[in-house]
Amino acid sequence: MDTQPPPGRPIILTFAGVLRGGRRLLPVATFVLPFGTAFGVAAAEKGMEVAQILAMSAVVFSGAAQFATLDFWTTPLAFGSLALVALAVNARHIILGAALSPWVNALPPPKRVMALTMLSDANFADSHVAFKSGERDVGYLLGGGLVMWVNWNVGTAIGAFAGSLIGDPAAFGLDVVMVCFFGAIVAAQLKRRTAILPVAVAFAISFGTVDHLPTGWNVILAALAGGLVSVVRRAR
Amino acid sequence: MPGDFAAWTAIALVAAVTLTSRLAGAFLMTRIHHSAAVERFLDGLSVSVLAALVGSALAQHGWREAAAVALAALVMMRAGSAVWALTAGIALAAGWTAAFG
Repeated sequence: MDTQPPPGRPIILTFAGVLRGGRRLLPVATFVLPFGTAFGVAAAEKGMEVAQILAMSAVVFSGAAQFATLDFWTTPLAFGSLALVALAVNARHIILGAALSPWVNALPPPKRVMALTMLSDANFADSHVAFKSGERDVGYLLGGGLVMWVNWNVGTAIGAFAGSLIGDPAAFGLDVVMVCFFGAIVAAQLKRRTAILPVAVAFAISFGTVDHLPTGWNVILAALAGGLVSVVRRAR
Repeated sequence: MPGDFAAWTAIALVAAVTLTSRLAGAFLMTRIHHSAAVERFLDGLSVSVLAALVGSALAQHGWREAAAVALAALVMMRAGSAVWALTAGIALAAGWTAAFG
């Protein structure tokens, strides 16, 4: 059985919602350009052809998975290890998709797939808050994802063609964009007292286990622990 | 450096795994019975995954990133604007790099 959508107007996916989500996330998405560029530069340095670099950003659209792939870019390619690492660094998408399921699963399957294809940390963070505040158009999620995708791919192209001309994003403070964005979204949620304990538990676990678990798994463990704390605490 | 066939196969493989991860969460939730506990779990999960991403990033970096995130969080709580929060965090990080390298 599907998780039920929140009561109210029906859940929809419209072009107007896509535009709204895209406009809302555009200021954040612009900052993705230098990271796309960093990937383009790193991939070119690893010997990937320009067509392969551009195709990879277009069809994968996951910085973590793409940078991890570069670590395996040797001969012979270890396909099994590559698949496992891609799964590990992307497994948090499963959690993001589950958290969005009350809204996304109210749509017909083709529209679900369309909306989730562009799922990333940033448009999840923005959309989940909007959905909880009454947004009913899942196009908001898709629009946010599309502007992220466009910026990621433009950045990749710049890096693949002209990477050596670009400076270090850290000099401009651009390397902290995503973590600041997530921190700001979490801070906004702390107004709900019920969010404080799950946030504290998740932060502490991910911080403390980063050196002891494979890449990405510390985030998954911490998020699951935060979810469980939320269940146990409010059940008492 | 891998040959053409191996390279394109690897790209397709990573794309397939990534797309599956994006679709899997919502699909799995169609198999789970809805209850108040599930709702609370998802509610806690959604904010926890972001807190976990922040914790993981800060554990791998230093005081510069921690200060930038703290300022962004503070601005968000006071001003309620994600754009101002980001601007403040970025400005602090850029200033820190200029001052301390």
